[in-house]
Amino acid sequence: MTERIQRLTELTLQGKMYADTVKTVYDEADLLLPRQQMESKRICEYILNQEPKLTEYSVLTGFFNFDGSIVGDAFRRGGHKATQEAFHLFYLKPIDNLSTMEWQHATADYTKILNRGICGIIEDIDESLRNHTKSEQTEFLLALKRVADALIGWAHKCSRRAAALSLTVSNEEYRNNLQKLSKTLLRVPEKAPESFYEAVLCIYLCFSADPDSVGTLDRYLYPFYKKDIENGTLTREEAAEYLQELFLMLQAATPVQSNNFTRGGESHFCIGGYLPSGEDGFTELSRLIVESMIELPTYIPQVTLRWTKKTPREVFRFVLDCERHDPHKRIAFQNDEKRIMAYTEICHIPFERAVGYTTVGCNEPAFLGAIIGSNSKINFLRSTERLFHEKANLIEKAESFDAFFDVFKKELFSDLERGYEYDNFYNKQRAQDINYVSSLVFNDCIENATSLTQGGGNTAIASPMCLGITNVIDSLCVVKQFVFDEKMFTMSELITALHADWRGYEDLHTLILKRGKFFGNDDDTSNCVAQRLYRELYEFLKDKTNLYGYHWLIGDLLGYNIHHKWFGNHTRATPDGRYNGDMLKFGLGQSEGRDREGLSALLNAIAKVDPNGIGCGSTVTNITIDEQLIKNDANFEKTVDLLLTYFQNGGVHFQLTYVSKKDLLCAKETPDDYKHLRVRVTGFSDYFVKLNDAIQNDIIARTEQK
Amino acid sequence: MTMQHSEILTATVFDIQRNSYVDGPGIRTTVFFKGCNLHCAWCHNPESQCAAPQMLFYKNKCTGCGKCKEKCPNALETCDLCGKCTMYCPHDAREICGKEYTMDEMLREIVKDKAFYDNSGGGVTFSGGECMLYPDFLAEILAACRSSGIHTAVDTAGNVPFSHFEQVMPYTDLFLYDIKAFSGELHRSGTGVENNQILENLTRLSKGFPGDILIRVPVIPGFNADPAEMGRIATFLASLGLSGTELLPYHRLGEHKYAALGQAAPTYRVPTDEEMTAFRTLFVQ
Repeated sequence: MTERIQRLTELTLQGKMYADTVKTVYDEADLLLPRQQMESKRICEYILNQEPKLTEYSVLTGFFNFDGSIVGDAFRRGGHKATQEAFHLFYLKPIDNLSTMEWQHATADYTKILNRGICGIIEDIDESLRNHTKSEQTEFLLALKRVADALIGWAHKCSRRAAALSLTVSNEEYRNNLQKLSKTLLRVPEKAPESFYEAVLCIYLCFSADPDSVGTLDRYLYPFYKKDIENGTLTREEAAEYLQELFLMLQAATPVQSNNFTRGGESHFCIGGYLPSGEDGFTELSRLIVESMIELPTYIPQVTLRWTKKTPREVFRFVLDCERHDPHKRIAFQNDEKRIMAYTEICHIPFERAVGYTTVGCNEPAFLGAIIGSNSKINFLRSTERLFHEKANLIEKAESFDAFFDVFKKELFSDLERGYEYDNFYNKQRAQDINYVSSLVFNDCIENATSLTQGGGNTAIASPMCLGITNVIDSLCVVKQFVFDEKMFTMSELITALHADWRGYEDLHTLILKRGKFFGNDDDTSNCVAQRLYRELYEFLKDKTNLYGYHWLIGDLLGYNIHHKWFGNHTRATPDGRYNGDMLKFGLGQSEGRDREGLSALLNAIAKVDPNGIGCGSTVTNITIDEQLIKNDANFEKTVDLLLTYFQNGGVHFQLTYVSKKDLLCAKETPDDYKHLRVRVTGFSDYFVKLNDAIQNDIIARTEQK
Repeated sequence: MTMQHSEILTATVFDIQRNSYVDGPGIRTTVFFKGCNLHCAWCHNPESQCAAPQMLFYKNKCTGCGKCKEKCPNALETCDLCGKCTMYCPHDAREICGKEYTMDEMLREIVKDKAFYDNSGGGVTFSGGECMLYPDFLAEILAACRSSGIHTAVDTAGNVPFSHFEQVMPYTDLFLYDIKAFSGELHRSGTGVENNQILENLTRLSKGFPGDILIRVPVIPGFNADPAEMGRIATFLASLGLSGTELLPYHRLGEHKYAALGQAAPTYRVPTDEEMTAFRTLFVQ
């Protein structure tokens, strides 16, 4: 790492690179203007009133934050009044013990800016103005045009500030950097960039319009990298520096005081994966991106390798090797084979667009230039609970598992329908806001003359996250095994035990926990039950869409907030051995030692569960393994093969934690001694001691695979 | 030792361990047969020695709740291994060690991880106990694995008639062959049996087996961990043209199992890294 980057890193970790906002006073007479005109006018005034974050070490600048006084970006949603109101009413507040509202992630389409510059986007707006005549749409497009002009004006302001600062800098190298920056900002992002440096600068500045994910960074920067390296105007080392400064900005975009400063989920992007040509997209630049990123002692961003059948083993091994040497746990893995199949076959997204997905936030899939179509959480276990506690008469007389399953299915689907209604409701609330900033850098909003927040994008999926899927599978397994196959107890006995929260039925509870054929053991019973559930979900959902026409998929991850605890608190005892009020499980995996057959059995069970790919929404598979399987070099090679096989078999995702249960328990007892212990949480990593109790307990309960 | 019920071969197994990174190359499934005709004083799997299923009782986990007796009056004194007590013990204090498998049942378990074997150069390892005490069953399961395209390894202490080797050799890719001591008297004192047959079998195997042989030597301070004895083993192996010997340091991971069997655990010490390094230099790699 160069000295310049070291200095910038220090400033970033001290919170000194955060782009402070400058308060803007708006003309009250604006309120008399039509809505779109007023809101866009204020946005322009706000943008042009900001001050760029610049230091003598800077080669890049232009990122700014919104302060909530105007309609800001679509990620943090500052100034989105309807969204704020909906958050106030529904965020972190479960409705019906079935649904909670959550944040939405997205990724801008940087190729638009890199190919044509903001000028090109303005041309698109003019073209769209010719195609739309409704006043609401033309007003929206005119508003976008104003904001686009303001972004060009902002770049010019940044240029002037860089020039002014350069005059005060004595170090020749740094002075030259600032002069180069000043000169370049007069050209980009207004015009399309021509070099790798200019392209990175465009992303740096335009990230303000969607401060979330930089998407498929390696593929849209690669043409610039390749050209500059080949013509000798760029060295690998220089490219690494530009990338590192970009990554530091992604870290600095989150305030140091925020808990999220140490969480990689704040900015997450992908490398590798299928290209539109059908070839694997991992390049020399992808390698450089990972290397330069993990050289930084920062937490944000995190990166996911998209694996394809064409990815060489050496590439998979290289990224896994980086992962095991990364103390900040910023790397995860996705399987393109399964995901692309789901997006093309279930969601009917053209292959060329499907391959542009990136995982954002905690692992939510967003397509280049698109937002996640939904992001609510659903209590997937509620229907099972209600069946046993309120509708027991429907199942008590079931003569076979098939008969029971038919009743169960009806209840589950009824809950899902309702959960999706809530999800649409949240979207309708959000749609009252109009976004003028992010809509510029997202796909289709200009062409459709519709805000991103109102379904302006054509390509997206809707993937509410269903918590408790593993609880449901295990509950079904218990019913099948003990009630119908082995006849160890009757349905009535099970119902009575659940009503009593297992009190007086401790033997039955012990029997279930000890002999239950639970998911993750790769046995016929649990595999068949789990596969049947996913097959039914596929049949139920495959032709359904949300209010914007985005296809539904199933997700299972958690995010930062403890929905699994809130839902669990109000969910009574269930056949899988849960007591009243126990937390739900999230992600697709196991815990508490229920997966007894080892890691290959667990990975097999997960890989086989969903051949249709209906679970390719926001899904996560956390694996806790013995440190020696990773750290020991000989074992590491076998672990590489193990995880590769898991992907070849159909596994969708994995991320690793290798901390012993003993250490986690000690960290809970004496957090001061374990301040630096980092773990994978749901789709992000964080310091274990900073997590809340419910999430800490969940991580401790994960089975430690030897 | 192989059981025959209505002409279906079965074998008693005390564990099938999937995703094993030891006992041969790549990712493996290791099948541990129950029953051994050596009684090594340092054995880390003491439950493997008796061929019949056994009850393991982990006294340290027992809270004296009495659930086992409530569910089965025979639980303590006249246990017939019905298993009821293990099902209902809330503290996992009781466990039956040993389960009978037919060849089909065993093969079904083994093939589950075939994709992992194929990618990693792994396969199945039959171990024990002493798996070579089940030559009919072993030959059949080895042949079945071979037919399924699975790499096969046999982990043996070699104390069986050579005819047993002849039965399994055609279907075996790799022998993991344990040598505990070269000196006959020392071997008898540590394992309870002479080693003539073991050394002779290895000699014949080294000449007639076309596959791979990996020798494994446990290093037990107080038994064989001295340069002279290790030197004798090394010289013998060199005379057979066998290289790449794996030295396995004694460990104490099996101590709790002795307690569960109501037996006293061995008291050997664990060799130091320096000792292990020094011994390794004696062997041709």
